Amino acid sequence: MNGQADVIVVGGGVIGTSVTYQMARKGRKVILVEKGDLASGASGSCDTNIFLQSKNPGIHLQLALASAELFKSLREELGHDIEYHPKGGMILIETADELKVMEGFVARQQQTGLQVEIIDRREASKLQRGLAEHLVASTYSPQDGDVNPIELNLGFARAAHRLGAEVLLHREVTGCLIRNGRVEGVETAQGPLHAPAVVNAAGAWAPLIGKMAGLELPIQPRRGQLMITEPVAPYIAKGMLSASYIAAKYNADKLRESKSRAVQLGVGLSLSQTEKGNILIGATREFAGYDVRNTHEAIGAVLKNAMRLVPGLGPFHIIRTMGGLRPYTPDGLPLIGFVDGLEGYFMAAGHEGDGIALSPVTGKIVADLIVDGKTFMDVSALDPNRFT
Amino acid sequence: MAENSETVYICRCEEVTREEVEQAIRDGATTIAGVKKRTHAGMGLCQGRTCRKLVAGMLAGSRDPAKILPATFRPPVRAIKISEIAQGDEE
Repeated sequence: MNGQADVIVVGGGVIGTSVTYQMARKGRKVILVEKGDLASGASGSCDTNIFLQSKNPGIHLQLALASAELFKSLREELGHDIEYHPKGGMILIETADELKVMEGFVARQQQTGLQVEIIDRREASKLQRGLAEHLVASTYSPQDGDVNPIELNLGFARAAHRLGAEVLLHREVTGCLIRNGRVEGVETAQGPLHAPAVVNAAGAWAPLIGKMAGLELPIQPRRGQLMITEPVAPYIAKGMLSASYIAAKYNADKLRESKSRAVQLGVGLSLSQTEKGNILIGATREFAGYDVRNTHEAIGAVLKNAMRLVPGLGPFHIIRTMGGLRPYTPDGLPLIGFVDGLEGYFMAAGHEGDGIALSPVTGKIVADLIVDGKTFMDVSALDPNRFT
Repeated sequence: MAENSETVYICRCEEVTREEVEQAIRDGATTIAGVKKRTHAGMGLCQGRTCRKLVAGMLAGSRDPAKILPATFRPPVRAIKISEIAQGDEE
């Protein structure tokens, strides 16, 4: 270990470890540096849903479709059980207004190539029990899946390490080494690390890392709170979201105007169940700085919302709550690409609530662009320089 | 992993063995949360009440005890039904 590499990746979440894995696969010497432990940011605060349906039609959904393909062989590739299941997903629709919006959304998703349809309440009840009587409709896509995000994160890291990458945990980056407009590495509390390329995969903390290189990155932490039940027998058959989840995700500005506290908190349903049996119930979307704590009002709002849509959840017990920070960008797309004016500095952050689903394809695209200078799809819409 | 009457469980709720915790430490866990992430010790019904100190003791074997970060504490303080939380504030 001499602190010298072809590329340094900052951030040990699913994005950073996926990038490290793909770069190591291409034979590059990679050092991954993480200030805490693996999966300490958003990657360690998720439910198991990897929804294609929640991606914005267009390049966002294209990325997710490509990533979904990669998930299929990932367990074998990594030699690690990531608990991936292509179980299908539903977005529950409560009102006629929501139905109108979702019909438009579904039409655009179909144009981008997603298999998705709107089904009535009776058909929805055949797929999932315990649904509220008043539901107007639901969507269904067989292409949605779920995965264990922590095992995915650990799996990427283990495979990367096996391929020769160095994974440095509990090592905080304190500065960026720059000379004559090009990156030379990073400074850490335990000494410098040198490489001609640095990938900023620090998620919600990417702006703090970026400031060390003189960059103003438009990424803001957006808190999500999740509730966790005791392990129970299989109950959640499909991944589930609500139309209000989609609304909260893409309309941050509108939430502030609402008179409803739940809407201000960005409450929308997300529901999934792990292999072990714990049901994960979410979620909020709040701009609360870097505060990851759970709040009494959010716990109440999220669970009231869940009970209204899926009253069958009533008897289960909450044993734990979680809070984490999604890296939010103004247009809902991540920043992926080289930064203008700072040679060797590469952005791979800003995935909001899509990091788990997009981690396989992000790793691939980043490794392609850094090593080969091109990748398999047009990612100019993800240009990190697009906001200046 | 062969299980017999000699198998030592550190986390009873999630049935995590001593060997699994030792493996997590070899894999890079240096905190209680790190062991939890890799083994699920502490994720069960008692939320680490039983195993927290045992895990800390095992970490102390390879790390300065003063540097072992304690586990985080989150609501609820005890298991509570979703229906109770959902109707709670209207009393």
